[in-house]
Parts: sequence; C-alpha cells; structure tokens
Amino acid sequence: MPNIEQKEKIRAAYIDYVLTHGERPATVYVFMKELGIAEEDFYIHFSTFDSVDASAWRVSFNHTLEAITTQDVFAGYSSREKILAFYFGLVEHLKTNRSYVTWCFKSTSKLQFNNPPYLTDFKKMFEDFANEVIQQGISSGEIIDRKLISDKYKDALWVQLVFIIHFWIDDNSTEFEKTDEAIEKGVNITFDLMAQSPLDSMVEYGKFLWRNVAFKK
Amino acid sequence: MKEQDSIATGKVERSAKFVKTGIKVGGNYLKHYTKKLFDADLTKDQLNQDNAEDIYESLSELKGSALKVAQMLSMDKSIMPKAYVDQFSKSQYNAPPLSGPLIVRTFSKYFGKTPDKIFDTFDIKSSNAASIGQVHRATKDGKNLAIKIQYPGVAESISSDLKLVKPFAFRLLGMSEKELDIYMKEVEQKMVEETDYILEVQQSKKFAEACQSLKNVVFPAYYPELSSPRIITMDWVEGLHLKEWLATNPTQEQRNTIGQALWDFYNFQMHTLKEVHADPHPGNFIITPDCKLGVLDFGCVKALPMDFYTPYFSLIIGDTLNDKAKTIQCFRELEMILDKDDAQAIDFYYNWYQKMIRLFAQPYINSSFDFSNKQFMQELYTFGEQLTKMPEFKQARGVKHFIYVNRTNFGLYAILSELDAQILTNQYANA
Repeated sequence: MPNIEQKEKIRAAYIDYVLTHGERPATVYVFMKELGIAEEDFYIHFSTFDSVDASAWRVSFNHTLEAITTQDVFAGYSSREKILAFYFGLVEHLKTNRSYVTWCFKSTSKLQFNNPPYLTDFKKMFEDFANEVIQQGISSGEIIDRKLISDKYKDALWVQLVFIIHFWIDDNSTEFEKTDEAIEKGVNITFDLMAQSPLDSMVEYGKFLWRNVAFKK
Repeated sequence: MKEQDSIATGKVERSAKFVKTGIKVGGNYLKHYTKKLFDADLTKDQLNQDNAEDIYESLSELKGSALKVAQMLSMDKSIMPKAYVDQFSKSQYNAPPLSGPLIVRTFSKYFGKTPDKIFDTFDIKSSNAASIGQVHRATKDGKNLAIKIQYPGVAESISSDLKLVKPFAFRLLGMSEKELDIYMKEVEQKMVEETDYILEVQQSKKFAEACQSLKNVVFPAYYPELSSPRIITMDWVEGLHLKEWLATNPTQEQRNTIGQALWDFYNFQMHTLKEVHADPHPGNFIITPDCKLGVLDFGCVKALPMDFYTPYFSLIIGDTLNDKAKTIQCFRELEMILDKDDAQAIDFYYNWYQKMIRLFAQPYINSSFDFSNKQFMQELYTFGEQLTKMPEFKQARGVKHFIYVNRTNFGLYAILSELDAQILTNQYANA
C-alpha cells in the first residue's frame, strides 16, 4: 500500500474512532489492531495520537488555503479581504468535519485555550500566511508599521481565528449566518486597528514636541 | 466608494447608532431654539434639514431594514416636510457594498461552488445596492445577468430594527406608540417577506407572466436554479435609471410612452390582479434603449383584499363622493371614520377626507391628465402637510392597507410628475 494512502487511512480511522467513542483509543496498539495494520506502520507516519490530530488540522489548513487562492478574485484582494477569505474558507471547510472540530475544542483544557497541541503546526502555517498578508498590507499602506507592535499583528489574527471557531461551534443560526457576521465585523475591527489612526498621529506629534519643545528647557 | 464590510446588526451596536442620532437630533433642536432666541422669524426648515441629514446618515450606515424604512418614509412625501424628503430620497441610491470574500462565501454556502465556477464571468464589485442586498454583474452562456445578494443577518434584525426606528417614526409622524403599532406590524410583515428571495423569484415570474400583454412593459427572466434564499439570478436589463434617462432629454412623446406604460402597469395590477408591486421607487425601473419600461424587484407585493378594494376605489373612480351618506359609509369601512366619533367629528373628518380624495382622484376625473402640471403635486404635498399639522390628524386613522397603497400611489404620482408625462388615465381597462 502506498504510504500516502495508508496515512490517510489511519487518520480517517482515527477520526472515526474518536467521533464514535467520544474519546481517543486507549493505545496505538489497540487502535492499529482493530484497523488490521501492524502497529509499527503507525509510527512511519505519526509519533502519537497528538500528531494525528495535528496532521488533520494541517490538512484543513492546506485545503482552505488552496480553495481560496485558486479563486480568480483572490489575487486582487486587499489584505483585509485575504484574511476574510481565509476565515470564511476555513469555516466552510470545517463544516464537513464539524463534529471532529467540536470534539477537539471541547476536549481542550481552558489553559490551552489559544494554543492547543493539535493546532501547533496549523498555527505556524497560519502565521506564515498572515505575515505575508500583513507585509503586503504594510507595503500597500493598508496597514501601518508600528515599532514593536507590528510583530504582534499576526498574534491578534490568530486569537481572532480561535475565537471564530469557538463562536462557530456555539452558533445555532441558519447556515451559520451569525458566524459570517462575526467574521466580517471582527476582521473590520482588527484591520481598522492596524490601519493609520488618530493615535498614531498623536504619538508622532508627542515625539515631535518632546524633541523640539521640552528638550529646549 | 468605500466598501463597508459590515452592517451594524447587533442590537447594541444599532442602538448605539440610534442613540448617537438621537443626541444629534436633540442638539439640532437646541441649536434651533438658541437661534430662534435671536431671530424670531427663523422657520423650522433649517431644523428639519439638520435632522434629516443626521437621521439619514445614521440610517445609511445601518443599511438593512433601517434603510428600507428610510426609503419608505421618503415615498410618503405627503406626510413629510420637504427637507426630510430630499435627504431620504438619497437613500434610494447607492449604499456601500459588502466585502468580496463574503460574497464568495454566500455562493459556496448555497451552491457548493464559488461564483467564478458558476458563471462565465462574475464582477466581484457590486454595481449597485438594493437596500437589503447588492447587485452584481455576471455572464453565463452569452447572457448578461444581474445577481442580487442579500446581506447576512438582515432577516433576523428586522424586528429589532423596527423597534429602534419607532421612536423616530413617532417624532416624524407625531403618532403614539399604540396607534403606530398596527402599521408597524404591517411593515414588519412585508419586510420579512422581502427577505425571502425564493418568494421574490416566484412573485416576479408570476407578475411577468400576468403582465405579458401590457404594452411597453418588460420584465427580466429569472433563473430559479441559480437562486437561493439569499441569491437571485435574473437577466440584466440594459438601460438607464429614471434620473439618468431624464438627463438625456427624452422627447415629450418618449416621456408619455414611459409614463403611460407605468400607469397601465399599475392600474392593471390594482384592478385586474388585485395585487401590486408596492415599491415604486425610481431605482426599481429601467428605461430600455428601445424606450420600454423595465420593472425590477417584486420583493414587496401588496395584495388588496376586496373589503378594502371596493370602498377605496368606489371613492376614487366611482361617483360615491357625490353622495354624502354613501361616502361616510365607505369612510367607516376604511376606518377613516370610527364608531366612537360623534356627529361633529364625523362631519369634520368627512369634510377633510373627501377634500383629500377629490384632490387625489383628479387624474381620474377626465380621460387624460397632464402630470407636468406641478401645481397638482404641490397641492397634494401642501394638503398633506396641512393635515399633519392639525391635532385631529395626529391620531392614526385608516385600515393598515393604506400604508402600502398610499406609498404605491404617491410613488406612482411622483414618478409620473418627474416624467412630466401626459397620461390617458382611462385606458387601463383596454390594456
């Protein structure tokens, strides 16, 4: 059996197990035995069940990114729209795995709220994507470059993403319309905050005064 | 135009908008009375102007049903001071569009495909706003299409919106909450209907078929298979909006053609179908290059029940008005005169209402009517304003059907007057 296919099979069987039983298999041994594949084959692809979860989320990321970047309109989007497109694409994709997503999030302890282990890789991939979009926004003037703070932009977008998934899990409106609204409104606020604001002008002015007025005393 | 990515849908957010407007309006009154201290001759025109601007600003930021209310109030010019009308008329055009990704999202949700996969071309920038949605251009199989997409959350926010608009409506119309309630309910019900795009497609197809025989009126074809509860696909009607068309200086003959088409269309609906397209604002009509009237948007259809139709039209086109007893009977049926009214009140309302209807029915008296006669419209407005200033008319009267029928009729008159059209008013029967 080609490796890719086997990997897919193990992952699918794992998700199926989790959704049927509401918990992980007791051991890799039991799980692989039920699947009828040798235990050692599991370790070719994964190290632990955690890494199976992580790989499922990596697949989601790649799928979402591919779905949105292959749209003709994507290239013409502003940074704001690219982030919007990603969030919308993600909830669209996650719909096919809603039970699994719910299980993942519900089984996460509060302490790990923003950084559960299964999202580690996903987070890195998202941050790379976000950074690229932010850089594009900075060079087009859509986003303002602020010392020290610019590096945190991607973190804000990440917190927002986790929030959106939580919101979506609890959303019981028709066709998840409320999640759509939450995404539009939320992204607007984030991007408004990242854009040039009166505060920036005030800081600039303050710096100017400090150099030119206070200094002369 | 700057894209506005969200409608303020949360009640708190919307309330905040209205509170802000409330404060501004309060401020306008303050400004007005301060000025008045120094200038006793100051009229309320400036005040009305200031208020209208602030209210409009807030409503257009809110979009959705609030914008619809603005449009609605602006149609009923008879009860609005002129300054309000000028501002509100603005809302009939151009509201800022929603974000591209959300449009894509709406398509993939309902069709499982992105718009560029469904259509041969799809313009992600909207070409115009439709108050609770926006319109995009697309092509498929060599056909030019118009795609109407509804903003998410509009349907859900309607009733909470109307609650917020209420205090403004009280102030604008000078009515009490209880009296206004029955009308608000009617408006709410119609607005909820308007958010049902599946229903709109059905209604549009039905009207297009029923009105087939009408001269110079055309309807776009609708595509139910490319429509969903939030998306409508129809043919793109080539042509100009009324204002643009008028700017091209059409001949009197052309104006008459369009005006007549409009008149026949409305009278055919009222008298034959007993159901009318109740949204006659200029944005819903397109004048095609071969000088025909294209009709869009059957989201708002008002059915005229017989117990309304019969007394109402017997007053307008019948000779009931010449018989006082019969007229009063009709007024009673239409709840313009109420059981609790004493003899003096009956006389009072009879007197004013019959005056109003005589004025309103003027176009029907002879076989033709010239709407370029500005005096007629001016008289209508003046009369309406006069009524609203009388304490006896502070109280709401008339059955709930009036709200949409009046809006339709005034809208029709307003457009015909803008067209300066000469109309054969008894022709509907031959249509």
